[in-house]
Amino acid sequence: MTQALKEVSLELFPGEIHALVGENGAGKSTLIKILTGIQQPDDGEMFFSGNGVQLSSSQEAQALGIAAIYQEPMVFPDLDVAENIFISHRARGIWVQWKKMYEDAHKILSDLGMILDVRAPASGLTLASQQAVEIAKAISLNVKVLIMDEPTASLSNHEVEQLFKVARKLKQENVAVLFISHRLDEVFEIADRITVLRDGEHISTRSVEEFSREQLIREMVGREVDQFYATRQKKNYGKCVLSVQNLSKEAVFSGIEFDLHEGEVLGFAGLVGSRRTDVGLALFGIQPNDSGVIDLDGQNVSIRSPQAAQNLGIAYMTEDRRKLGLAMPLSITSNITLPALKRYLGRLGLIRTESEKSTAEEFKNRLQIKTPNLAHEVGKLSGGNQQKVMFSKWLNTQPKVFILDEPTRGIDVGAKAEVHNMIRELADQGMAILCISSDLPEVLAMSDRVLVMREGRQMGILDGSQATQESIMSLAMGELQETA
Amino acid sequence: MNAIQGLRPEKLRELVLLVLIALVLIVFSSVIENYLNARLFNRVSASVALMAVLAIGQTMVVLTRNIDLSVGSIVGFTAYFVGYQLSQYGDMHPLLAIFLAVGVGTLMGGINGILVAYCRIPSIIVTLGTMALYRTLLVEYSDAQTVLTVNLPRWLLDLPSLNLISFDRLHLRVLVVGMVVVVILFQIVLKYTTFGRKLYAIGSNPEAAKMAGFANQKMVLTAFLLCGALAGLTGFMFLARFGNITVVAGIGFELKSVAAVVVGGVNIFGGSGSAFGAFLGAVLIDLLENSLIRWLQISEFWRDALLGLLILISVATDSVIMKRFQLYWARKQARSSPET
Amino acid sequence: MTNVWKYLRSWESFLCLVLILTISVNAVNSDAFLSIDNQINLFTLAIEKVIIALIMAFIIINAEIDLSVASMMGLAACALGWLVDAGASMPTALAICLLIGMLGGLFNGFWVTFMNLPSLVVTLAMLIGFRGLARVLVEDRSIRVFPSWFEELGQQPILGPLPLAVIIFFLLLILAVMVLRFTGFGRYVYVIGINKDMARYSGINVTAVKLILFTLSGLISALAGILFAARLGSVRGDMGLGFELDIITMVLLGGVSIFGGSGSIYGVILSILIVLYLRNGMSLSNITGHLQTGVIGMLLIFSAMVPNLKNYWESLRTSRS
Repeated sequence: MTQALKEVSLELFPGEIHALVGENGAGKSTLIKILTGIQQPDDGEMFFSGNGVQLSSSQEAQALGIAAIYQEPMVFPDLDVAENIFISHRARGIWVQWKKMYEDAHKILSDLGMILDVRAPASGLTLASQQAVEIAKAISLNVKVLIMDEPTASLSNHEVEQLFKVARKLKQENVAVLFISHRLDEVFEIADRITVLRDGEHISTRSVEEFSREQLIREMVGREVDQFYATRQKKNYGKCVLSVQNLSKEAVFSGIEFDLHEGEVLGFAGLVGSRRTDVGLALFGIQPNDSGVIDLDGQNVSIRSPQAAQNLGIAYMTEDRRKLGLAMPLSITSNITLPALKRYLGRLGLIRTESEKSTAEEFKNRLQIKTPNLAHEVGKLSGGNQQKVMFSKWLNTQPKVFILDEPTRGIDVGAKAEVHNMIRELADQGMAILCISSDLPEVLAMSDRVLVMREGRQMGILDGSQATQESIMSLAMGELQETA
Repeated sequence: MNAIQGLRPEKLRELVLLVLIALVLIVFSSVIENYLNARLFNRVSASVALMAVLAIGQTMVVLTRNIDLSVGSIVGFTAYFVGYQLSQYGDMHPLLAIFLAVGVGTLMGGINGILVAYCRIPSIIVTLGTMALYRTLLVEYSDAQTVLTVNLPRWLLDLPSLNLISFDRLHLRVLVVGMVVVVILFQIVLKYTTFGRKLYAIGSNPEAAKMAGFANQKMVLTAFLLCGALAGLTGFMFLARFGNITVVAGIGFELKSVAAVVVGGVNIFGGSGSAFGAFLGAVLIDLLENSLIRWLQISEFWRDALLGLLILISVATDSVIMKRFQLYWARKQARSSPET
Repeated sequence: MTNVWKYLRSWESFLCLVLILTISVNAVNSDAFLSIDNQINLFTLAIEKVIIALIMAFIIINAEIDLSVASMMGLAACALGWLVDAGASMPTALAICLLIGMLGGLFNGFWVTFMNLPSLVVTLAMLIGFRGLARVLVEDRSIRVFPSWFEELGQQPILGPLPLAVIIFFLLLILAVMVLRFTGFGRYVYVIGINKDMARYSGINVTAVKLILFTLSGLISALAGILFAARLGSVRGDMGLGFELDIITMVLLGGVSIFGGSGSIYGVILSILIVLYLRNGMSLSNITGHLQTGVIGMLLIFSAMVPNLKNYWESLRTSRS
């Protein structure tokens, strides 16, 4: 077993927002698990309000007033909002007083500035509302230390602002907030102090004024990163491969129109809830569109299933690697050949293993997948290498149109740069790429043009010269921008 | 749409069931002469008394994302066991006999619960195994003998026809009243106690329940214990109602109880449903069976075939209705939140 | 993957050990046990279950379950008896029965794939439903109308000492091993069992694979029902009642995970032999059928528990080191 954490020290003061940063695998999650009593440290001590404590379970942490909210909130979908807030209260006694519970829940939520129906089942809530429920739960439990583990990863900008307002409010009420995020802008905006972890070790803790952006990145990665995002060289692209007119799906998106050319990267930008992924899923046949025209190489096509999309030369790489991207217990080889398995079938439908292996070998060398061997379980690879396997899997189908959904989500800075280079190379070789990303600098750096969506509608397509963070955001915010 | 505003999913399900039951009554009373009479009530209530109690036990287990297929065998075993004891010791106090039945049932439920909660074996496997095991126990214990009515004490044989109140020919039997008490009791437990709400929570999201510090394993064990206890009680009622107990007693009850639960709107994936719903499910199934046989004069052999289909259809419609309902809530939520 | 194989190999070697133990105990207890006649006999007596266990392995690896197989057996057998009784010719009746099997399986598959219902509920309902239909056809009679060649086919050896059903089993066995281990379809069965959504996002036609599996399950169950009818020479409404328990036990004991995605036919074969030898041994020692069922029930629970115990044991070992 490798050591997840080595002699890490961390101090939290009441009324401060403390950011914890580090690359994936730096030991952040382990630290959180120890703080919330889910895991126990092999060595070291913990003091709470000056008293030494040993947490052997999450209840003990909860009893002290340590609570955590996660990127994916842990709500009970069948219970309503008020019950979700109060269900873990130990002091509530045997009987449930529904009326009082609804009143209390309403009060806590409105104090937070949240408008939520306390009687609504949690299953219908947006991620942001679910997080609000989690925070309300923490407050109702008299929280003294609130740990927020990448709470903003799937929130829209407005929702992030809302969350920050709540965090600042908690700060005023002398709660210590531990804030974990990959987004450095947010860290600089909200944090009072920053602690950097790297490879399970404590690197530094300083107040936010003492950090510069470059320095923070340097300490996180442990090496110089001269150019974080290289900008894409503008070049002429080839003929139109995919042309979409008035693509719509009822209650999801409508009026999507664009042309995608050989060798072009078309960025898809927008806030969460802008339904970018749904357009990708429609083009890949997972959630087919119900009106509109799709032309591929000048031919009118209808895409009703992923198999149909694949036969037409469309590939879609999911944003959710763990749940939708890879068969974790299977080998690298089996994963890479999976979508194109029909090519490897010999007589009687038998798989030609030799030819499978040579394909896997080829991609291993081409994308530099780091693994002891190709029979290795994919689940045991690092995030970056899993991402490369996912790329291989779809490149092996030799797509004409490659839809990438958040191609760098959850991988560390080094692997990110490699993925960016790869996308550029593919475009240079003539592939038509549709790149959905929430990371604005990434979209700007990768794309020739940027399509901006808002709530299922296409707000505009920006050329490379017009596309800036500001112009994209103003489109993505739509009417809000105009009224402001 | 306004009418169902503020309705919780469980309430909606119960309402739909009540409407369905009313519909069945109306439809059949128009095709069968003299359909709505005291005999129908007496007959249906007598058999629902058993099935509803069993279904509520099953509900406790299903709420936690599990299933208990051994209840039929538990009913059979307790019925035989208590019947045998009573035929040996005829002067046993009635309460002791009930206590014995519930105790044996609880014990058997406990074995299921320990295997599911603490040995982490999927409940379907455990209870498929114990279904066979408890039945074997019954065969071995009984040595293929039968408990006969003649050997049973008088009070027990009189119990099924013992009326609490009678309105003309409409009889409210003691066993039925007992069932109603069980329904009300468990409805209160599930709706108004922290224990009940935690059962829902565990079924709704076991991971989150663990994070919140619930004793998931203990809760699942408790659900199985309660299910076993109610199955034991059903065994006692079975003995009182039929008197003659053979080794096949209670066979098929496990499927019927699952059917009642599922038709009653308890989500087979756990987390939602109610005791009252399970009761209504049992009523609807029994009413349909009774009415179909009287109407079509069809052989009772059709019953099972139709029952299977009924389960499928009700689960399917339930999942469709609930999807609509959630969509409605999501839309309402989207409208009320200022940003999206 | 190497680790999975290591685990499988060790699980299978454990099964081998149990098997050798069972054989030795049986051989010591009874001289008759090792005789060819007894071997073929004990296989023949359970051949229907064993045949269905092969397709059940596919279904469970695919992370589904089919509880209706035994009822489908009964339905096909009763339909055969009813049709012949009503004057249908044997070939027509046989074809109709196999068709019933396919349609029944397809029906299960429809609810599972298109209506998105859990297979546990669907096949539980059809466990009741198919059995009910079987009873509708024959009520409480026992139908004995088959031509003598049909009964002979079920009872007499046709190739050396082997009766038809055993030969069919061996053919299906080879087919099952080949398909699951070496074909694209087999790979799809595993991948869908590991993660259905991921399979869909990889362009695999999950619906088609599941429909094929359930249809095959119905078809093979119907075939088993026909073989059962031939062997017994008559049909009754309760034919094959409760067989699903034995079948699922065989599959799970063979190391197929109830959560899908792992397991092999080799393991299933070993566990089939263990279950058969155990039953045979108990019969030879005059233990009644009911007690045997109880033992199988216990074995089922045990077989589901062993992987957990193994994990627990390994976690103890790693935490100590």
